Amino acid sequence: MLIRNFIYYIKEAFCSIGRNGWMSFASVAVVAITLLILGSFILLNLNVEHIANEIKEQVEIIARVDENCGPLEVEELRVSLIQLAQVEEVRFVSKEEALVRLKAQLGEFMEGYEQEHNPLRDSFEIRTINPEDVPAVAAEIKKIPGIAAVDYGAEVVDKLFRSTNVIQWVGLAFMIGLAGTAMALIANTIKLTVTARAKEIMIMKWVGATEWFIRWPFIFEGIILGTIGALIPSLILIYAYGEAFSWARMNLYFLPLVAPEQILLDLSKLLLVLGAVIGALGSMFSMRRFLKV
Amino acid sequence: MIEIQHLNMVYPNGVKALKDINLTIERNEFVFVVGASGAGKSTLIRLIGREFLPTSGNIRVFNKDITRLRRREVPYYRRKIGVVFQDFRLLDNRTVFENVAFAMQVVGASARQIRRQVPEALEMVKLTGKARRKAHELSGGEQQRVCLARAIVNKPSLIIADEPTGNLDPETSREIVELLDAINLRGATVIMATHDKEIVDSMKKRVLTLSAGKIIRDEQRGVYNQDAH
Repeated sequence: MLIRNFIYYIKEAFCSIGRNGWMSFASVAVVAITLLILGSFILLNLNVEHIANEIKEQVEIIARVDENCGPLEVEELRVSLIQLAQVEEVRFVSKEEALVRLKAQLGEFMEGYEQEHNPLRDSFEIRTINPEDVPAVAAEIKKIPGIAAVDYGAEVVDKLFRSTNVIQWVGLAFMIGLAGTAMALIANTIKLTVTARAKEIMIMKWVGATEWFIRWPFIFEGIILGTIGALIPSLILIYAYGEAFSWARMNLYFLPLVAPEQILLDLSKLLLVLGAVIGALGSMFSMRRFLKV
Repeated sequence: MIEIQHLNMVYPNGVKALKDINLTIERNEFVFVVGASGAGKSTLIRLIGREFLPTSGNIRVFNKDITRLRRREVPYYRRKIGVVFQDFRLLDNRTVFENVAFAMQVVGASARQIRRQVPEALEMVKLTGKARRKAHELSGGEQQRVCLARAIVNKPSLIIADEPTGNLDPETSREIVELLDAINLRGATVIMATHDKEIVDSMKKRVLTLSAGKIIRDEQRGVYNQDAH
C-alpha cells in the first residue's frame, strides 16, 4: 500500500464519517450497545466461574474411622489414603478435636456432651488434586477396610459441578451468539452507509479505481467506528465494575468476586480488538454487492 | 483502435439488444451512434466501457480483446478511457475541483499532478471560475462540463459518451458537443451515442445508425437518418 494511498484512505474514512454523521452515530451506537452487553456478560460469566472455583476448592471428603481401629491401624489408614493417586492432602481429625469444633459451631446445643461421652469418631479430611474427582475418590475410600463412613455432601457437590458446567457452556454459546449478532447488526448499519454511497462507488469504478482502492476507505471507516464503539463500553465497564466491586466488598463480603485489575485491562483490549474486527468485517461483507460494476 | 467482430448481446430477460455487430473505429475518429430508444446504442457504449460482457463476439480496444480481461484488469483498462454519462454522475456534496480530482486520486496521482492537471481540464471545459462551487449548485450544462473535465483529466485516448446531451437544452447541448469536438481535435477518439438530430446533422462526422440491434447504416460525414425511427 502506497503511503500516499494510505493517507488518502484514512482521510476519506474520516471525511466519510463526518459526511454521514447520523449513520456513523448509528453504527457506533450499535457497536457500543452490543459490546456493552457482551462485556457485561463476560464479566458475569468470569465471576460465576470464579465463585464456582472458590467453592470447589473448599470441597473435601470426610472419611470416618471405624471405632474398633487402634492408633496403629489409623496410621496405616492415613498412609493408604495419601497413596491414592488423586489425593492431594490428608488431615487426621481426632474425635476430641471434632467435638471441640462442633461445640464451637453449635454452642449450647452440645451441652452435656463431654469428652468422656463423646459420640463422634476419629476422621480424615481429604482434599483431592482436582475437585471434580471428589465423588470417584470418595467411592474408592469407602471400600477401604477400617473406614466406616464417607461424606462429601454428595448431592450439593454433584449439583454444583453440573450447574457450573452448564453455566459455562451456556455462557460460551451466549457470547458467541452475541458476537455474531453484533457483527450482523454492524454489517447492516454499514450496509446503509454503503448503499447511500453506491453512486460514489460506481463513479470510482468507472474512473478506474481498483476494488481494493474502493474497499480500503470503507474498511478503515469500519475499524474507526468499531473502535470508537468499543471504547465507550470499555470505559463504562471499567467504571461500573470498579464501583460494583467496591460495593460488593463492603456489603457482600462473602462473595469472592474477581478483582478489577485482574480482568478489566484484558477485557478492554478484547472489546477494542473485537470492535475493530467487527467493523472491518462488517464493511467488507456489506460492500461486496456494490463492487460488481 | 476499436475492432468489433460478430458482437451479440442478449440480456438475461431475453431481449436481443445487439445482433452480429461488425465495426472498426480508427484512432482519432469522432463517431455518432444514433438510433431510436432501444436500438442498442447504450448497450454498445456500455460494452465498450466493459460494464458487462457480450453474449458472444469480440471487442478489441487498444489491440486487446476486452471481453477476455480478468476482473482485476478492468480498472486499468478503464483508466485509458474517459466516460461521459447522460445523468452526469457527479458527487453532489463535493466541489467541482474535488469531483475532477477524484478521477486522478483513484489512479494514484500525486497531489502535485492533481494541482497541475485539474485546472487544465477545468480550463478546457471553461469552468475555471467555478472550481470551488459544489456540484449541485451548478446548472445542467455546467454539471455535464464537470463530467467532461473528469473524463479528460487523465488524458485518455478514447472518450465514450452515452447520450451526454440527453438532459440538456439545445444551446447547452451544442456547447457540450463542441467541447467533445475540441477534445477530438486534441487527439482523442470520441464515440457518442445520441438521438439529437440537429447536433448530428450539423457536425458532419461519421454516423453509425442502429436499428433493432443491427447497424443499418455507416456513413462518413453522415446525417441523422429518419430510417432510424
